[in-house]
Amino acid sequence: MDQRFEGTPKAEIRVEGRRLSRSKVTNDWGSQLVWEITRNGQVVATVPARANNEYTHEHNTPGQYEAVLKMFKYEGYAKDTAGNFTASKLVEVSNKLSFTV
Amino acid sequence: MLHIGYEKVPMCSGHGPTRRSFLQAGSAGLMGLSLPAWMSLEASGAVDKSKQQIRNCITIFLVGSPGHLDTWDMKPEAPAQIRGKFKPIETNVPGIEICEHFPLMSRMMDKVALIRSLHHKTGATHENGQRWMMTGHEFNADSMKPHSGSVISRVFGNKGTLPASIVLPYKIGNTGAGPLHGQSAAYLGSAHEPFFLGADPAKSDFKVVDLAPPAGQSEFRLNSRRQLLTQIDDVQRRADTNSEVGRDTAYNRAFNLLTSPEAKQAFDLTQETGDIQDRYGRNTLGQSCLMARRLVERGCRYVTINHFDTVFGISCWDMHADGGGLNNTYADYENLLCPQFDWAFTALIEDLTQRGMLDDTVVCVLSEMGRTPGINGRGGRDHHPGAWTNFMAGGPIRGGQAIGSTDKTGSRPQNNPIEPPQILASIYHAMGIDLETTMMPGPGNRPIRLIEAEPISQLFS
Repeated sequence: MDQRFEGTPKAEIRVEGRRLSRSKVTNDWGSQLVWEITRNGQVVATVPARANNEYTHEHNTPGQYEAVLKMFKYEGYAKDTAGNFTASKLVEVSNKLSFTV
Repeated sequence: MLHIGYEKVPMCSGHGPTRRSFLQAGSAGLMGLSLPAWMSLEASGAVDKSKQQIRNCITIFLVGSPGHLDTWDMKPEAPAQIRGKFKPIETNVPGIEICEHFPLMSRMMDKVALIRSLHHKTGATHENGQRWMMTGHEFNADSMKPHSGSVISRVFGNKGTLPASIVLPYKIGNTGAGPLHGQSAAYLGSAHEPFFLGADPAKSDFKVVDLAPPAGQSEFRLNSRRQLLTQIDDVQRRADTNSEVGRDTAYNRAFNLLTSPEAKQAFDLTQETGDIQDRYGRNTLGQSCLMARRLVERGCRYVTINHFDTVFGISCWDMHADGGGLNNTYADYENLLCPQFDWAFTALIEDLTQRGMLDDTVVCVLSEMGRTPGINGRGGRDHHPGAWTNFMAGGPIRGGQAIGSTDKTGSRPQNNPIEPPQILASIYHAMGIDLETTMMPGPGNRPIRLIEAEPISQLFS
């Protein structure tokens, strides 16, 4: 029997300088949880977030950054020829925050 | 004192079994002690109630089999086509490293004993490995062997209204090579079949199939039916055949489950807080682990969690990357399988610890086999019973150690090779069962040992 995720995970993130922190995730699917950091719309870091509630961004390139927490949503095991999921993917589960370096 | 199930076999006091006591035990078996006979022994005080004080066991069975080189026996010095994509991380036990996708488990390695030299020599099918690891035997349809939970049920019985052995969430179905998965009571009889939940506890409409009265039937009506069936069973019992006695017991078990508020509560995860449900993970494995804790807390002795009931058409550990029905890849391990396992397993250990239950609960993580050291041309790994890693925690298990090792490529055990029957013997021993004195009725009711193997001594030293 394949698993089907129900409900919507939610978490709140905060930022102090470069230090990001997160709340517990409610309705937690237990799958991969990552911080996704973007700059000028480009992903510059995807960092595991499950084991720690905090993450300090160390990139020194000046600019406006945006952070969000994402969790892997399983929608079926279909893959492309490279072995990557086609329908299943990381989805946003938190508010988005901006910070400046 | 020698025991056959609960029955004490008379012996010269304190000097071990005598030839006469063995003969008595043997003749009891040969004459075929029926269930009522066992029960009458219990009623007459011949049953040793102290034997009921064994520990509980929760087994998580990773159907499909994780690649040992990608999880708990990493070889970072091996060539890329062997070491794979993932990196090892340190744990809280110096010298023991595991996969980076088990960060929470790495913090509690002091509670876990890895067994890195498991292997078996029969075929590389899932079913071969399931039979070995569920029963401690390889067998065919003519010589079925009982699941370890059925052995516990037969020898130690129920503690309350819950069955002694429960399988969550589903029984193993199609894994490719036949129906013999080792999850039946075999010659121990239907009364000791595991109770299969048959539903996904992570679903919002979760309902235990056997606990839901048929539509339109009240509990009063069920009780009336039970009385009627009791009368029918009384008639049947006069015929005095073992199969009918077994069926009687199965009926009783079903009715106890249908009508017992305690049983219904045990399966009701809504009685847990949202926080604890989140901590286990709102997925099938996570909620099965939470349910397992509730079940052992309420009297179930042996819970088996099948992490997946098939290997076809789903995301599971069977990482062939074949582009078709067995198209699991590193992407499944990284995004879904390892994180869900890490989250659920560590929640279970934490929860048992916080409730003071870990000393009385043995937790085992088992699988059928390992996966090939060499990555195949599609980026996956195929079946490899030549070496793999499983692990145990809880009860008297000494955590913080890795027992045995494999060679440089993870192809075969390098030292201390361990075979599946030793795992079963270790589980029974960890539960507090004296394998030298505890026996069960085997085929033809002859008394036999629970398993013909010795426990792995390092687990307990």
